[in-house]
Amino acid sequence: MNRQELNNFIEKEKEKLAEKGSKAQIRVCCGAGCLSSGAEELMNSLKEEIKAGNIDAEIIPTGCMGPCNQGPLVKFDPGNTIYQKLETGDVAPLLNSHLLEKTPVTEKLLFADSRENPSLNADEDPYFKKQLRIALKDCGHLDPEKIEDYLLLNGYQALDKALFAMAPEDVISEIKQSRLRGRGGAGYPTGLKWESVYRYVNDQKYVICNGDEGDPGAFMDRSLLEGNPHRILEGMALAAYAIGASKGFAYIRGEYPLAIKRFETAIKQARKLGLLGKNILGSEFHFDVEVRIGAGAFVCGEETALIASIEGKKGNPRPRPPYPAEAGLWGKPTLINNVETYAAIAPIINNGGEWYSEIGTAKSAGTKVFALAGKINNAGLIEVPMGTTLREVVYDIGGGIQGGGKFKAAQTGGPSGGCIPEEHLDVKMDYESLVNLGSIMGSGGLIVMDESSDMVDVARYFMEFCMDESCGKCVPCRVGTKMMHDLLQKICQDNATRIDLERLEELAEYVKETSLCGLGSSAPNPLLSTLRHFREEYENRVRETSPKHNVVD
Amino acid sequence: MNIIEININGNAIKADAGQTILEVCRQNDIEILTMCHMDGISDVGACRLCLVQIEGSNKLMPACTTKVMPNMAITTTNERIKKYQKITTELLHAERNHTCAVCVANGHCELQDMTAKLEITHIRYPHLFPDCDMDTSHPWYIMDHNRCIMCTRCVRVCKEVEGAHNWDVMGRGHEVRIISDYHTPWGESETCTSCGKCLHACPVGAIWPKAISQGQLVKNPGMINDLVEKRKMNL
Repeated sequence: MNRQELNNFIEKEKEKLAEKGSKAQIRVCCGAGCLSSGAEELMNSLKEEIKAGNIDAEIIPTGCMGPCNQGPLVKFDPGNTIYQKLETGDVAPLLNSHLLEKTPVTEKLLFADSRENPSLNADEDPYFKKQLRIALKDCGHLDPEKIEDYLLLNGYQALDKALFAMAPEDVISEIKQSRLRGRGGAGYPTGLKWESVYRYVNDQKYVICNGDEGDPGAFMDRSLLEGNPHRILEGMALAAYAIGASKGFAYIRGEYPLAIKRFETAIKQARKLGLLGKNILGSEFHFDVEVRIGAGAFVCGEETALIASIEGKKGNPRPRPPYPAEAGLWGKPTLINNVETYAAIAPIINNGGEWYSEIGTAKSAGTKVFALAGKINNAGLIEVPMGTTLREVVYDIGGGIQGGGKFKAAQTGGPSGGCIPEEHLDVKMDYESLVNLGSIMGSGGLIVMDESSDMVDVARYFMEFCMDESCGKCVPCRVGTKMMHDLLQKICQDNATRIDLERLEELAEYVKETSLCGLGSSAPNPLLSTLRHFREEYENRVRETSPKHNVVD
Repeated sequence: MNIIEININGNAIKADAGQTILEVCRQNDIEILTMCHMDGISDVGACRLCLVQIEGSNKLMPACTTKVMPNMAITTTNERIKKYQKITTELLHAERNHTCAVCVANGHCELQDMTAKLEITHIRYPHLFPDCDMDTSHPWYIMDHNRCIMCTRCVRVCKEVEGAHNWDVMGRGHEVRIISDYHTPWGESETCTSCGKCLHACPVGAIWPKAISQGQLVKNPGMINDLVEKRKMNL
């Protein structure tokens, strides 16, 4: 399809939409979270009831709506009313009351159990009100398995604009102007990365989407891939156009079967409409994407290990330089970005880099998606402007600590990050502020812990994770993480002495400074940050001398 | 040749732009400790013993894989580097089972030499003593995984010089093991040519010929590079 044919196609879809008029739309969240709490049965039962009652309504399966632990969720449009924790038995009374009698079922409204006056329009609830959804904008609204839905919401307009009104250099300068930084965790300026790949001249370049999200408690990339796969695909195509690549790979971890399925569906649909393949929209630009499935190694999220994995080798990192921008996949210049980074590209091209750069803080522009988990009331997926404080995220959006407990720490950045204690609740969530506290932004996992959490055990848990996930190539990470884990285990079992604690600190510094890749050099972070903020918990548990040397009467 | 000027330990040195820091240092008799590096095969930067400090970078960089750049200022040794080299060597000792007195490579072992050079008298970490196999299925050679330090020199020499690719690496983390073919006993390998290059490449006493006793394993790792150089000259 060329440009004109696609426009005609969209016009036809618009007419179809207009014909539907103000027909009620019932959106059922079909993200992995809601599906596992019974969204599929719920949707079937909704369909049956609508058919049986001859109700004039349309059922739309969507991606993640956000408040995952309130699932399964159903949204009624128009009106934007979300109902939570629905069971098949609730369907008939709900349809009857909400659609036919026009009276909302208050006790099933979103957050009905935690708020005195739950909002009828979900956007008025503090959970959504405090958010700014750019990457997640249409996630939870459109049907991720229908390209028509995406096209009707201005989908692929950014690609159209870039192909026919912008040179590759213009796309790069727009991204540079947006001050977007890599959302995978390290925060490298995306525009600079694109520019460096653009500058390497080669007849073959590659674009890779890193969807190997592996941090415990993180599900941003999964939800984006499941909820709006075309947005990611459009971001990849824009990147390919900018740097001059003709081939892309989406590396998605095998534990995300739904994300893989929906992304593959998206690729097929895009190919069919000429949005992927040769001469995209009738232009001179060729680009196609293939999915590669990760086999479960956390280290494959590291870019050089990921490249090795796509090449069919064992997922071991290699020393950089050379960076993938110079010699990446099969030795060719390669651009690797995270899923969430690609999700921000189309809005930036549509609205301009300046628009994006005005959101957030001076050094961290835009918004960040966080996956709230742990002892928090409203666990789920949120997106806030950079610089939102941790307090706002935990209390205003997250609804505070479960069971009215006391906040102890928030863990950000997964096994590469650290813990932020209560006295720093007012920290602004941006790259630099979190690093200053000994943590990192990471990919966006945010685990909230209450007073019942043992911080030494938290450090031990993450060290165990790194020890198991170390690729085993370099000595510091392979043996160092094992030694640190054993020492932390010893402290947890109250068998450690002061010397053990000293060795632990020495090893932490050593592994951080000498490891080959990011996994090893950041593996000591949870340990170091808990030592920094909760040192007394360690001190209280180490003895002056070994228990073996105690004199027993 | 593109000659550039760099600075190593305060001395101005001329180098070829394509060279690694390790190559330049070796050419100029500047000592760099290595374990996973071997002349004649590719470098992987895995043992982290050759880490050097480069001015302007807060990370230590491996000399074996980092190429020299114009005006690069390199420090090859200082207290911090020495401390880390000691820890690395200690960790290698603690990882598996290294008892010099009963080892075939006693007196001809790179790990032993490194330990002596760094004046390590005690290993401060608990020995892990994992349950490793000893593969005696090959008619001539023995592979004792208890002594392996995972430098992967055997893997690279087999793949790059012999072209057989009998050896490779299996598993993750501290559970990585060298394997023969797809984890079959060495004696049943379909790819091994029994050339014996891996014996010479092994820095410790993990691979050795049958029917020798402790201290009798004398190796010639330089033979590998000679072979590579001769092939280049088409001799």
